[in-house]
Amino acid sequence: MFTLLQKESRAPATCPGPASTQDLDSNYGDGLERECSRKPDQKVPEFCGVGDPTAMLSSDSSYLSSRGGIIKWFWDSAEEGYRTYHMDEYDEDKNPSGIINLGTSENKLCFDLLSRRLSQSDMLRVEPSLLQYPDWRGHQFLREEVARFLSFYCKRPTPLKPENVVVLNGCASLFSALATVLCEVGEAFLIPTPYYGAITQHVYLYGHVRLVCVYLDSEVTGLDTRPFQLTVERLEMALQRANSEGVKVKGLILINPHNPLGDIYSPGELRDYLEFAKRHELHVMVDEVYMLSVFEKSAAYCSVLSLEGLPDPQRTHVMWATSKDFGMSGLRFGTLYTENRDVATAVASLCRYHGLSGLVQYQMAQLLRDRDWINQVYLPENHARLKAAHTYVAGELRAMGIPFLSRGAGFFIWVDLRKFLPEATFKEEMLLWRRFLDNKVLLSCGKTFECKEPGWFRLVFSDKAHRLCLGMQRVRQVLGGKSQVAEEPRSCQTQEPRSQRR
Amino acid sequence: MFTLLQKESRAPATCPGPASTQDLDSNYGDGLERECSRKPDQKGIINLGTSENKLCFDLLSRRLSQSDMLRVEPSLLQYPDWRGHQFLREEVARFLSFYCKRPTPLKPENVVVLNGCASLFSALATVLCEVGEAFLIPTPYYGAITQHVYLYGHVRLVCVYLDSEVTGLDTRPFQLTVERLEMALQRANSEGVKVKGLILINPHNPLGDIYSPGELRDYLEFAKRHELHVMVDEVYMLSVFEKSAAYCSVLSLEGLPDPQRTHVMWATSKDFGMSGLRFGTLYTENRDVATAVASLCRYHGLSGLVQYQMAQLLRDRDWINQVYLPENHARLKAAHTYVAGELRAMGIPFLSRGAGFFIWVDLRKFLPEATFKEEMLLWRRFLDNKVLLSCGKTFECKEPGWFRLVFSDKAHRLCLGMQRVRQVLGGKSQVAEEPRSCQTQEPRSQRR
Repeated sequence: MFTLLQKESRAPATCPGPASTQDLDSNYGDGLERECSRKPDQKVPEFCGVGDPTAMLSSDSSYLSSRGGIIKWFWDSAEEGYRTYHMDEYDEDKNPSGIINLGTSENKLCFDLLSRRLSQSDMLRVEPSLLQYPDWRGHQFLREEVARFLSFYCKRPTPLKPENVVVLNGCASLFSALATVLCEVGEAFLIPTPYYGAITQHVYLYGHVRLVCVYLDSEVTGLDTRPFQLTVERLEMALQRANSEGVKVKGLILINPHNPLGDIYSPGELRDYLEFAKRHELHVMVDEVYMLSVFEKSAAYCSVLSLEGLPDPQRTHVMWATSKDFGMSGLRFGTLYTENRDVATAVASLCRYHGLSGLVQYQMAQLLRDRDWINQVYLPENHARLKAAHTYVAGELRAMGIPFLSRGAGFFIWVDLRKFLPEATFKEEMLLWRRFLDNKVLLSCGKTFECKEPGWFRLVFSDKAHRLCLGMQRVRQVLGGKSQVAEEPRSCQTQEPRSQRR
Repeated sequence: MFTLLQKESRAPATCPGPASTQDLDSNYGDGLERECSRKPDQKGIINLGTSENKLCFDLLSRRLSQSDMLRVEPSLLQYPDWRGHQFLREEVARFLSFYCKRPTPLKPENVVVLNGCASLFSALATVLCEVGEAFLIPTPYYGAITQHVYLYGHVRLVCVYLDSEVTGLDTRPFQLTVERLEMALQRANSEGVKVKGLILINPHNPLGDIYSPGELRDYLEFAKRHELHVMVDEVYMLSVFEKSAAYCSVLSLEGLPDPQRTHVMWATSKDFGMSGLRFGTLYTENRDVATAVASLCRYHGLSGLVQYQMAQLLRDRDWINQVYLPENHARLKAAHTYVAGELRAMGIPFLSRGAGFFIWVDLRKFLPEATFKEEMLLWRRFLDNKVLLSCGKTFECKEPGWFRLVFSDKAHRLCLGMQRVRQVLGGKSQVAEEPRSCQTQEPRSQRR
């Protein structure tokens, strides 16, 4: 039996990306990770707008095309940063002084439940039809199951139709395919900031589509009810700015529940955004990948699929995957729901490059149809564990006097560390990020989410108690000014939430 | 338990595609499968068009159902290294080292895994070429490659036209020579098309041809002279069922002319009869190319559970060498022998090389005129008589009248299919339903 090595996670969450349209060609800034591992004799470029990437890359490889060079650069820049983490990953037995990862948004709390369910004998079935070339939209039995599943969990008034479902190997692929089929090269999607930075690559690497940022900030002004609130007014402003710069915007990306804010849009807000999009004939891609990860019962989540009478159903496309809600980012299973046959067909045509193994399709169908397990075992336990972990981390943050946003959804907390920056610059934010890393705790800094204001960090809490405890201790040390690395989670035993199991 | 419906096959082998640079925008025809799936009932269409090995599902099902195939570990459920899990890349390196008869072991760091060779063509096209640049490809070729390099990559294919006439120093029809490669390259250059690479398929689809080591080396030397990348698709590597056919993988050659521009592709789709499982591999010594492809692999990712299963499969040399390969080759050979016999009895010429799942059949004498229009009409007559073949146009064959006939299927289906072919060519219009004379044809080693 070979050794299953520690996962070499390629946490896409911290990939840098261009923010504004002006900066698009100039802001393939060095990945923050590259900054961190830069050798002392290399020149340190500025942070915002770091020069022409093509010039940077021209001598890099005579074997690759220019777009190949850019594609490779994305890998290298992320790789450098995570090399530090990968070479020194925390393990309670083998490497207790290793780095605690509070940066990657993965739910590590329910592997026991998932392993148990996925190991049951009904999960292994081999039929000729599963081994042969499939319908690239996905096997019919799976698309039917997805339609039933989403109809139920999105609280759909009328049932969804299997023919409007396309399945493929994850939402990253879905962004790539949608960008390619909806946009010409160089066209753009609007996206509110801060946002999950890897989307920049997903629409660009194959699709060559850009993102136009709708900048949100923490100050609650006017009719806002909360920080970083998305309003139609801000959408209109961003669109106008793009138009005036000659950038053609074809769509709007909404992430609900939101990453990294953990925000949930109200039905009224969703409708306002959809009406805005309709006025301008924009496609709306709604990423609902954290749909079932709303652990606060009081948080009233509403899927766009539950709205009656969408303003523009032909331009409303809903994305979901098992990566987050079922804690299996390595399984690679994503779905698209759209009533637009042209879009569904075009995406399906690209799905031969994003194909799902027939055996995995079978397993996913088995998983999705097991409502008893989902409703009585998995979701209650998952939510309880997420809530407990969130409560713990939130408590620690309050004890440290650190402000944060908390919405009851997702795996992360959007933390306000602005007061810890001597100057409100991204350079200082990066130095703070580096101090955390040197103290063996990995967070994600706001720059990688294109946050307008320096000093915000995303902290992931969906991990086991002892790791959270140790991680928070190390965070406290950095912010309290200590430099010693905490190895012993001395005060952590009492913190173990009752419902957590190893 | 839900019903596993009949597969709605999207047989990529028969997708038409633009071959020459001029035709690029005009030739996305209807999938032939759309024709077939209209009537999936008892009088349904026999599919001798899709290149899939349907002979060994029993062996594969048995092996894949064994308990060692189901293992769930946290590391398999989490975000992977997009090049593929280390344990799998090590297994692939060992596997290819053995089966490609490699003098020195291959290195895991030169391996990238992803969800199939179609994705690999897409990724390679994108990282090696600017938009609009091209790869050379000898014709006839597996037409779907046109889409694989174009849909995302916007890369074109420049055809190296081969024809059936054996001339000069040729030893066989449709022979690829360096002279023809040079001519095609010159023609592309004169038209302002920048060629960045060459695609070789060995064993060949649709010809079933195997390149000799000397020929491989000649092609690689040609590529090196012009600084072209060579993508060698060896997806039928283990499907050489004639013992006398001496197959040589490019990975077995000592001292490649240009290792930094030689990239080898393999997948389980054909050799292990599991096109639906989606598992392909790239082997290249070029770190830039491997890295760039890996960067795109997040869009071509393989489930962690499938990666585990593939590693289990590849490492089971006993099963592969003692159960699967001998039985698979025996069944392929028997099926091939049957269909070849039927073709001879009908007086139909064909090429036969002892590799792959198909026979390249010469139906030129059945066309009233040597035109692709007549070829299409003949194809249509086959389809109307409920048998699906692939016509030469979809492989960009220069000469009308060639068809690819897939034989890697069960005896009763082959029998019925050949009866229907015979009816069309003999001029009858009645659809054969009863495989009356088929029982006695059942090859001894075949099992349901």
